[in-house]
Amino acid sequence: MAYTIIGCGSALPERTVTNDELSGFLDTSDEWIRTRTGIETRHVCTAESLDELAEAACRNALASAGLEVSDIDLIVCSTTSGDHLMPAEACAVAERLGAACPAFDVSAACAGFVFALDVADGYFARGRAKHALILSAEKMSRLMDWEDRTTCVLFGDGAAAVVAEAGGESPIWTHLVTKPDVASLDVPGLAGESPFDERRAEAPASHLTMKGRKVFRFAVSSMEQELKLLVAETGIPLSAIDHFIFHQANERILESVCKRLDLPEEKVVRTIHETGNISSACIALALDRLDRAGELHEGDLAVLCGFGAGLDVGTCLIRWKKA
Amino acid sequence: MAESTFDCVVAILKDQEGLDDVELKPETKLSEVGLDSMATVEAVMACEDEFGIEIDPEANPQTIQEFVDLVEAQL
Repeated sequence: MAYTIIGCGSALPERTVTNDELSGFLDTSDEWIRTRTGIETRHVCTAESLDELAEAACRNALASAGLEVSDIDLIVCSTTSGDHLMPAEACAVAERLGAACPAFDVSAACAGFVFALDVADGYFARGRAKHALILSAEKMSRLMDWEDRTTCVLFGDGAAAVVAEAGGESPIWTHLVTKPDVASLDVPGLAGESPFDERRAEAPASHLTMKGRKVFRFAVSSMEQELKLLVAETGIPLSAIDHFIFHQANERILESVCKRLDLPEEKVVRTIHETGNISSACIALALDRLDRAGELHEGDLAVLCGFGAGLDVGTCLIRWKKA
Repeated sequence: MAESTFDCVVAILKDQEGLDDVELKPETKLSEVGLDSMATVEAVMACEDEFGIEIDPEANPQTIQEFVDLVEAQL
């Protein structure tokens, strides 16, 4: 038992923030950001909540699949930046949609959407679900130190979802990897107010910190290794793959991977210039964009590859057969 | 050995970054010839592939000579 993706949806905050706007309060410039990251704008939450964006993405995915909420047996949400520490973002979505099925979150940072797909695949394999809503919802703007020009310019907010149905060919291949390393990409948890916590005074703020060189290298080498492993284990050459849907962390990472694996640029999806890094929502958003642009054809092979904090890497190969 | 490593590293840098027309001397600063931190990491990875070595992922060489020293330390 596997699954077929039968619907996609997404929702971005209305407000876009340009590089010039950021250079108004940071020591940076459009040219600096553009040449080092490929990012031109990012969407950032202002009046909307992440719950609202996640709900909208899910409603769009349900409409795309032609299903009602009552058809859904499982909701899995990938997030590390939800509106609630508890309950899960998936519970907020379930409440808004009026769903009564199990709903929970998966925390695997930028690789989270591929991890969440694998969790849902387990429910299909055990015959526990016929239709699952798998979403990613991220409000990265809440995790930023807005005085740190090396990180806050990179990220954006947004949500995206797919509806998967039990049965079909996907995933043809899945591989999840964790190379434990907290310090390279970290957002410390809440300091809290416990009167018993002797380390509370030294607790760092819940801001994202990143060792850029190390993460860049991890990203490029991991993606290269995973794609080579996919080819070795499936016997499917990279030339037979129609779409490379990679996590959108940095244009330079995408360029480097394309160069090292000799991937044709036109098959490598890009949203980074417009959205920045929306953590785990990038891959689901790109899938929705391709679907709505009519670029996904029945039988197409698509590689989804996410990488990020953990350090986690999640890769899968799916065959497109939207109902 | 030192000279051949230098020549090899320079050849990799030139190939990697399209610096065919630029003279690279030991004291040349990487930033002066357009290699920012990510380009330096890419060049480090290319050297790892070429020489079959592993270089400290935190390494941040500033000059061609520092880059060559990093490679030589692993040979």
